[in-house]
Amino acid sequence: MFDNILSGFSSILAIGPILGIIAGVFIGITFGAIPGISCIMAIAIMLPMTFYVDPIIGITMLLAVYKAGIYGGSISAILINTPGAAASFLTAQDGHALTKSGKAGKALDMSLFASVSGEMIATLVLILVAAPISAISLQAGPIEKVFLLLFAFTVIGSMAGESIPRGLLSCCLGMLFAMVGMDSITGTSRFTFGVDELIGGFTFTPMLIGILVMPEVINVIRRRKVPHHELAITHSPNPADNRISFKEFRGVFRTILKSSGIGTFIGALPGLGSSTAAFIAYGEAKRTSKKPNEYGKGSTEGIAAAESANNAVCGSSMIPMLTLSIPGDDVAALLMGAFLIHGLTPGPMIFFEHTETIYAIFAGFLITDLFLLVIARSGFKFFVNMASLKRYFIFPCVTVFAFTGAFTAGQNMNDILVLIAFTVLGYGMRMVGLNPAVFIIGFILTPFLEQNLDQAFAIVGDDYYQFFASPFSWVFIALSAFFVFSSMRSKRKASKIPAPVKEKTA
Amino acid sequence: MDRRKIDVVVSTFLIIVSVIILTNDNLVEGGAESDLGIMFLPRVVAGLMLIFAATIAIQSFSKLSKGAELEGPELIVTDGFRGIFIYIGIFIAYWLAVPHLGFMVTTPFVMLAVAVLLGGRSWIPIITMSVITPVLIYYGSREFLRVYLPTWTL
Repeated sequence: MFDNILSGFSSILAIGPILGIIAGVFIGITFGAIPGISCIMAIAIMLPMTFYVDPIIGITMLLAVYKAGIYGGSISAILINTPGAAASFLTAQDGHALTKSGKAGKALDMSLFASVSGEMIATLVLILVAAPISAISLQAGPIEKVFLLLFAFTVIGSMAGESIPRGLLSCCLGMLFAMVGMDSITGTSRFTFGVDELIGGFTFTPMLIGILVMPEVINVIRRRKVPHHELAITHSPNPADNRISFKEFRGVFRTILKSSGIGTFIGALPGLGSSTAAFIAYGEAKRTSKKPNEYGKGSTEGIAAAESANNAVCGSSMIPMLTLSIPGDDVAALLMGAFLIHGLTPGPMIFFEHTETIYAIFAGFLITDLFLLVIARSGFKFFVNMASLKRYFIFPCVTVFAFTGAFTAGQNMNDILVLIAFTVLGYGMRMVGLNPAVFIIGFILTPFLEQNLDQAFAIVGDDYYQFFASPFSWVFIALSAFFVFSSMRSKRKASKIPAPVKEKTA
Repeated sequence: MDRRKIDVVVSTFLIIVSVIILTNDNLVEGGAESDLGIMFLPRVVAGLMLIFAATIAIQSFSKLSKGAELEGPELIVTDGFRGIFIYIGIFIAYWLAVPHLGFMVTTPFVMLAVAVLLGGRSWIPIITMSVITPVLIYYGSREFLRVYLPTWTL
């Protein structure tokens, strides 16, 4: 493994990948810092631009956008109390309190150091754990894979939706759309209704941009009369208030380590995501803190806990995707699509078929942290200015990039129609409480499920009991039942608690 | 807007779609036979959809019939929906116009329209942006990505 890591570093330390990482960090922080935009929009828009470059450059660039975007969300959360994503909600509470008292620099510094530390720890875990897990998962045959995928559908559908039926229905809809077109095994056309353009199925990129990105643009259009907030860094006359000292960082390092551990663990479980990680780590840090009363009122320790946990999810969410082909959340689903487009099929075989590429991507993941630290630290003012751009400068560009991105996929105007149709569907799904991210995960995983199911049926023939002969089958059935039950319990509990303060978005 | 009413309508539609998938044999064309059967998975998914859609419909319908008060996400705020329709209209017009007028001609007007829709009135920077961005994208796509965006065909 050590040799592979060294070879990964030698592949990534070239002009192309480094420029890709730098561009990714710039784009990620800028998009992440713009209130109301999540990093997923930046990744989806950048995705078509990576089609024509080497996978090492393209994928590391997208991963840099992801990492920097998650961090960028904390800038608007701290400066104007507008979290770019739900995961930054707690950062906004403590960070904005510090901004109001003139200590924005301290909050931004703490958020950056905690984010980078959390990401680095999770990336190291990813590098050390992914290959051994993939070696184990290689033992799984088609029957075990069917149960594994059913487990993934159940967990993601039940954990991520507004309610369990809505989450699972979102997943089923994604599965149904994935079945449109010619079946790769039998050559049969399904649900094409005589329309030749549907034989190839729905093109992934326009569908992705339509379902995940455009509804965010539509949301901004709908709220176009909400006043625009300009971001500004408040400065204190006392220089110590504008930065984090080594002593202060050392003081919260234990919290960062613990929260990163929590974030890494939560990220590795499908369906939970960065918000859950941030809330659990924040709660745990508050419980064990010497100054729990400061939490929510400008605690740097609180920022450290929330940010290190939600950024740790970036690295560890890759673990189920790379080892088991299960994207744990929407960004992982998007990245899985990017891997597939670049000819890398996530799953245990990736470590054997594309060893050099995958370790180069891991090395790029680590190097991104260093670039993020340097670029963000030296360019706070620049990113704040960029994120303060008026909506009417940003969203016309996003519209054109979305159009171009959808066209680039197949150089076909029909893909624009797919983009429009899925934009309407994606927004409609959000309105009725269905989850577009779960839809995408269902869409991506269905071909794998069908292929493995077909192989499994060929293996068992008429002896259907063989489906349940392997202990893996029972383990995954038990785990699925457990997750559905615990999700039902937690949702019932949550419904009894009064609704939290609504997230503000510009 | 009451989301529960939409739930009932959408669920009914999905139940009808599921029933069609479960009962209609003419949804596939050609191809070879497989052990699994080409409609096996779609029918399993349709069956599950039917169950989940029915669950949502029953929950929403029972709340509606009891006259229960709307809770959190059940209330859909429709303020600003006019803007959404205009935006979708702009996008459809863009899709229709690009194959004939080309990317470089159509895009500045689309960018200008979206900027105005978002309340932009700083004409000089908006017009500059609307002209420069398509040029950069067009030549950037052609030179670096080898993607040829549509050109004027009239």
